[in-house]
Amino acid sequence: MTAAPSVAAPATAAAPDAVAARVRGLRKTFGATVAVDDVDLDVPAGAVLGMLGPNGSGKTTLIRMLLGLTRPTAGTVELLGHAGDDLTAALPDVGALVEGPGFHPFLSGRDNLLRAATAEPRLDGDLRGPVDAALERVGLADAARRRYRGYSLGMKQRLGLAAALLVPRRLVVLDEPTNGLDPAGTRDVRRVVAELRDAGATVLLSSHLLAEVEAVCTHVAVLQTGTLLVSGELRALLEADAGGLVVSTPDVDDAILALREAGAPSYRAEGGVAVPPGALEAPEIVAALVGAGVAVWEVHRRRAHLEELFARLTEEDA
Amino acid sequence: MTTVSASAPPASRASTRSVAPLGRLAAAEIRWVLRRPRTLVLLGLLALVPIALGVGIALTGGPGDGDGPGLVAAVAGNGLVLPIAALGLALSLLLPLTVATAAADALAGEAAHGTLRGLLLAPVGRVRLVVMKAAGVLTVAVLAVLVVAVVGVLTGLVVVGGPSGTMITLSGTTLGLGEALGRVALVAGWTIVQLLAIAAVALAVSAFTEHPLVVLAAVLGGLIVFGVLAAVPSLEWLQPLLLTSGWTAGADALRDPLPLDGLASSTGRALVYVVLGAAVTVWQMRRRDG
Repeated sequence: MTAAPSVAAPATAAAPDAVAARVRGLRKTFGATVAVDDVDLDVPAGAVLGMLGPNGSGKTTLIRMLLGLTRPTAGTVELLGHAGDDLTAALPDVGALVEGPGFHPFLSGRDNLLRAATAEPRLDGDLRGPVDAALERVGLADAARRRYRGYSLGMKQRLGLAAALLVPRRLVVLDEPTNGLDPAGTRDVRRVVAELRDAGATVLLSSHLLAEVEAVCTHVAVLQTGTLLVSGELRALLEADAGGLVVSTPDVDDAILALREAGAPSYRAEGGVAVPPGALEAPEIVAALVGAGVAVWEVHRRRAHLEELFARLTEEDA
Repeated sequence: MTTVSASAPPASRASTRSVAPLGRLAAAEIRWVLRRPRTLVLLGLLALVPIALGVGIALTGGPGDGDGPGLVAAVAGNGLVLPIAALGLALSLLLPLTVATAAADALAGEAAHGTLRGLLLAPVGRVRLVVMKAAGVLTVAVLAVLVVAVVGVLTGLVVVGGPSGTMITLSGTTLGLGEALGRVALVAGWTIVQLLAIAAVALAVSAFTEHPLVVLAAVLGGLIVFGVLAAVPSLEWLQPLLLTSGWTAGADALRDPLPLDGLASSTGRALVYVVLGAAVTVWQMRRRDG
């Protein structure tokens, strides 16, 4: 859990607009069911992109197409600069935990990882070092020699994460990584994602846990019934969604009065007074308050929670 | 090819390969196959076939007790025939079951456990994956036959005994120990080729499903259907197509001089099954969803 070795391969001296993954017009149908419908998405290099969506919204299908596990019905995928038939050439630098961990019950966690390590092109020589390091990173060192059969759901999930981290990666794809994990496990995933990001790797994770995504992600993409509703930088989305200002002040009543006189409707809110967008800009509001002798601790733009954004996006479309 | 991970961390030796070496993959696959409890159980059961046969024959008495099938009756007092009789007996069910199990686990079983996905993502190339899996199944087939043959020879010599290390052929002549062992090796090799035909077809079925039981049902069901078809006189024209219809040729090894026609034609037929099965397996694995 501590002193983890560097796990991400150093990214190329990335141009700011470099993308780790890009899909265009991506579509997948299973018979009459449309799983993914005409999705365009960029995963910027170095980003931690959280893919959100209710169950059955096409997150896993999109990830499977991105990794070349499923053929798209239409559209193109580009992964670390590789596309088309060449897509698998990107995979040695991609770590993935898709659709839950897959291991053999009759082998120990460590033997399962050793078997996975033999298939990793980037590993050479003694495989035990990288395997033990990966087990250590996900907090499974103590249970490494127990049979996978006896692992709890959370331990299985941790082993799946360890397999994705066997090799320094440029892109790590985690499909529902916190499934079945206890709070400590969730924290460990968060820590691993932060380490990957700090090391310059790109992370794509899908989740239906909004708090999880809000805590670790720099970017989000919201899917519903196979359609991409919105994607972009998390902070920008939240700020664009919220708008208005919050004024922290001890003199709430005076502040509301002063703002009303200045022509800006306002109301009492958590931490002070909320001013909806439109009427006045921030400097004018501060001037009006200070002019009226109201003490102002802080004025900041009101940020929405991802939950509000998500609810609004998925409900208005439903 | 990407060259960006040039300065990888010192903890592991990094390589710029785009696929793992085939030797390492095949070695890992064989190790994995041989650690599976079910493989070991089946090999153990196969070892019991010649032992049970030998002990049974030794207990029920010597020559003259000719109630059993021809080959089994020929074992009495003629120990070196035991491995050939045991191989013929095991080929009817237990040997096909063993290779079909290995082939079922190789692709369908890996898909069911979610481990096929891991291999495809590593990435192990799809054709390489088939080669690596074929190496595992081939290992099981060879080991299974060797177990029956070796235990058969030992049981034959120790339990059944016979005229001082010689083999009496069905034609009545006597072969020395060396030539007798050569005949056993011939039947063992022939049996391996027949099993490879089953293995190739089983792998092809395995490539289409993620339910290992479907593979077992298809292979064992197929063998039973072949047996039924072979028994219908009006379908005699089908005989050259049926894998099982050449399986009586194994007993030819007990004739003197050795007739090679049956052994050769059944081997040729098996090789056609191998080629077809391998082609279908590769074709399906190249398009399969992971």
